Amino acid sequence: MRLSEADSHALSGAPAAPNYLHDGTTVMSWLNTRDHKRVGIMFLVSVVFFFFVGGLFALLIRFKLLQPGPFFVDALSYNRMFTLHGIVMIFLFLIPAIPSAFGNFVLPLMIGARDVAFPRLNLASFYLYLGGALIAIWGIIHGGADTGWTFYAPYSTTTPTQVAPILIGVFVIGFSSILTGINFIVTVHTLRAPGLNWMRLPLFVWSTYATSIIQVLATPVLSITVALVTIERIGGFGIFDPARGGDPVLFQHMFWFYSHPAVYIMVLPPMGVISECVCAFSRKNPFGYKAIAFSSLGIAFVGFFTWGHHLFVAGQSVFVGGAFGLLSMFVGIFTAIKVFNWVGTMYRGAISFKTPFAYICGFLYFLVFGGMTGVALATTSLDIHWHDTYFVVAHFHFIMVGASVMAFLAALHYWFPKMFGKTYHEGWGLVAASLIILGFNATFIPQFLLGNFGMPRRYYQYPEHFQALNVASTAGATLLGFGFVLIVIYLGISLKWGSRAESNPWGSKGFEWLTASPPPTHNFDEIPTITQMPHDYRTHEPSGVIRVA
Amino acid sequence: MSHEAEAGLPPGILAHHFSSLARQNEAMRLGMWLFLATEILLFAGLFTGYSVYRFQFPEAFAECSRHLELTLGTVNTVVLITSSLTVALAIHFARTDSPRAAAFCLVLTLLLALGFLGIKAVEYSEHFRERSLPGKYYAFEAVKTPGAAMFFTLYFIMTGIHGLHVIAGMLVLSWILRRTLQGRYSSRYYTGLELGGLYWHLVDLVWIFLYPLLYLI
Amino acid sequence: MSESGQPSRALHADESHGEHSHSAVPYLVVWIALLFFTGLTYLTGKQHLGTWALPIALIIACTKSALVALIFMHLRESSGSTRLVFVTALIFLVLLMFFTVADVATRFRPSTPAGAPFGTERSQPEGLLEHELPEE
Repeated sequence: MRLSEADSHALSGAPAAPNYLHDGTTVMSWLNTRDHKRVGIMFLVSVVFFFFVGGLFALLIRFKLLQPGPFFVDALSYNRMFTLHGIVMIFLFLIPAIPSAFGNFVLPLMIGARDVAFPRLNLASFYLYLGGALIAIWGIIHGGADTGWTFYAPYSTTTPTQVAPILIGVFVIGFSSILTGINFIVTVHTLRAPGLNWMRLPLFVWSTYATSIIQVLATPVLSITVALVTIERIGGFGIFDPARGGDPVLFQHMFWFYSHPAVYIMVLPPMGVISECVCAFSRKNPFGYKAIAFSSLGIAFVGFFTWGHHLFVAGQSVFVGGAFGLLSMFVGIFTAIKVFNWVGTMYRGAISFKTPFAYICGFLYFLVFGGMTGVALATTSLDIHWHDTYFVVAHFHFIMVGASVMAFLAALHYWFPKMFGKTYHEGWGLVAASLIILGFNATFIPQFLLGNFGMPRRYYQYPEHFQALNVASTAGATLLGFGFVLIVIYLGISLKWGSRAESNPWGSKGFEWLTASPPPTHNFDEIPTITQMPHDYRTHEPSGVIRVA
Repeated sequence: MSHEAEAGLPPGILAHHFSSLARQNEAMRLGMWLFLATEILLFAGLFTGYSVYRFQFPEAFAECSRHLELTLGTVNTVVLITSSLTVALAIHFARTDSPRAAAFCLVLTLLLALGFLGIKAVEYSEHFRERSLPGKYYAFEAVKTPGAAMFFTLYFIMTGIHGLHVIAGMLVLSWILRRTLQGRYSSRYYTGLELGGLYWHLVDLVWIFLYPLLYLI
Repeated sequence: MSESGQPSRALHADESHGEHSHSAVPYLVVWIALLFFTGLTYLTGKQHLGTWALPIALIIACTKSALVALIFMHLRESSGSTRLVFVTALIFLVLLMFFTVADVATRFRPSTPAGAPFGTERSQPEGLLEHELPEE
């Protein structure tokens, strides 16, 4: 492979060419940045931090559950722990993680733009996220909440814990999500490079675009819902209070209208990452580009028609429940289309088994099994047995950790050289991936069994005959935790002491690889004209007509 | 950027990452409409709550609705509709290079908005006096049908959140007025003014539905 | 969807609204129409027309909204993307309201909590029960 000038420069050991990391090194230059890449890095650092906070709560929960009876903490504290685990993991990690960290960094590069459409709004998104997180943390420190992350009324409107500041924090973070969604949609509509029409967009852009649609349409309903709970707590207005004619199930309708599409916010960007990585590490064109692109939109829209499957046993009308059950199964078809296409892409590809590919394997396995249990749960009659048991807990962790977090880690390793211009140690990458995949199986497969045997979720105590499976799950969680910590260690070491990366270490045809690693502040010396198909591995020439910094 | 100088625009309007002003305007409009979509979905939650409880308590809602000040509500509707006209005219005058007429229309809009809030304040004080208040504060002698308190809970929350949006709209329009007086808007560029107007029209749109649903049951 | 690669048009006034006449008359006409429809909804509202009251009020409100959106908010001259955004928001508003009200309208009465003030006759559709329920 002929080395480009930038690559020779990188590999010769000379100091790195001017890039976005060096452009201003004061703290203020970061805090006041308009550069989408810096905003992305700030989000990345924040979400990783909160991931470990949420993970700490998880380990505390699992530690308590080693014993069936009272142990380690009292019941109220235990309720707070699982509530905070959910809130931190969902609102402070999963919702922003891939879109705001990687999407911010990579999306403009992928469409040949110099920045997102509204750079200052992008920075505002970050501060809203941080501000909301700090408000919620304030509430957590002062006692937290014990309602579960779902805040069901009327308990959430009456419990004497710190629900109000946490909800206000969630409200503020919601605005961050909305503004990011608006920014990305407008960016894709108006800042594509010359020649880049919709059917040539990289698949990560399609999935991020679909995610942004969900963020824009669903988050406001969450905002009004948490606002109403807060108003009811502070003012005693009784919107959800049965004694005043209120209907608690109305809360659940409004809450899940957001929170079900929210799980697609949490899973669509990971699917986009997987599309990118499957093509890159199989060195093959996508099996069905249009299928993957349009199924992203399909998930985004049909995902809004399914929220009532969370209300099957809440007293919802059986007719409406039946409709929601059917629609919930229907939305699984789009995911199936994607899995079929990913596997079809890998078939007869030239597989390069690097760390991102290990995470792809984990992702596919966990997505398929987690997704199938989701379709099973959508069966109203079966859900009567499984609702509010560990079966549901295992199902959503298979998707949210097994799929979303695996893809997050794949993205982290895939784009690490692009973002920081350094390489990481591939051996340690595979070791960590193995620990995580094994640890995950050990944590959550026992939970499917526990749930099916009848162990309810969010319970402080459980019958003794469930102890063995709980101990197994805790052991798995510990292994899982070690895997994550290991990643932070070797990536941190690579940041400081890793060898310099060439501009395209994976030989990927992604458009973000057309510029240097790390990119210059203005992304491209000249905006490229992009007329080739994305992920096109049929040619051996580097793609695009571009001059790299 | 050189193409900005070519346009003869004041500096600082065209951002460096947009290839042209037309493209930037398109982006700003699309962004604003997306934001308006979020506002529509915000009120959707409230209208959903309203629909559920009106379905559950039809008699109470009808009775309570008759005890609202229909005249004041109708006047407020006319006020907001007229304010939409004045803001539309402000944009019209800006794009036909009459910035002073545009500023005048914006001032009119702000006065009408103030009038709307004033009338709502009068209505609210009447409710406080007769104790037709939300939730646990409800003590209205004239209507004791079950569900009456829920009507006023929704009335106060919906008009209250709408009122917050009126205030926000006034802040936006004041900022736009300042910019108009500074000569920022002309036939070459009036997008900022247009976006402020769009927000104001949304406030009007919400009231167009609130009025019949609250006052005319 | 917008094409990419447009040449710089910074010299001309904004393209997407076209070079149509910049008359204020449409705004005044719409204003009069809005006042007319407001009067109409006021009068029909005072008639208390029973089951027809709500549909009539909503149709008038939708007409007024359409006028504001198309003319005052310039949706008539806007790009397809912005129109799609507005329509999509409305569709999802209807979606949320439809399923939630459908739930409340078709619930099985015994699943309503005992003693709840909203467990009234209204929450039970006609003819769904074959037999009388015991007194609560």
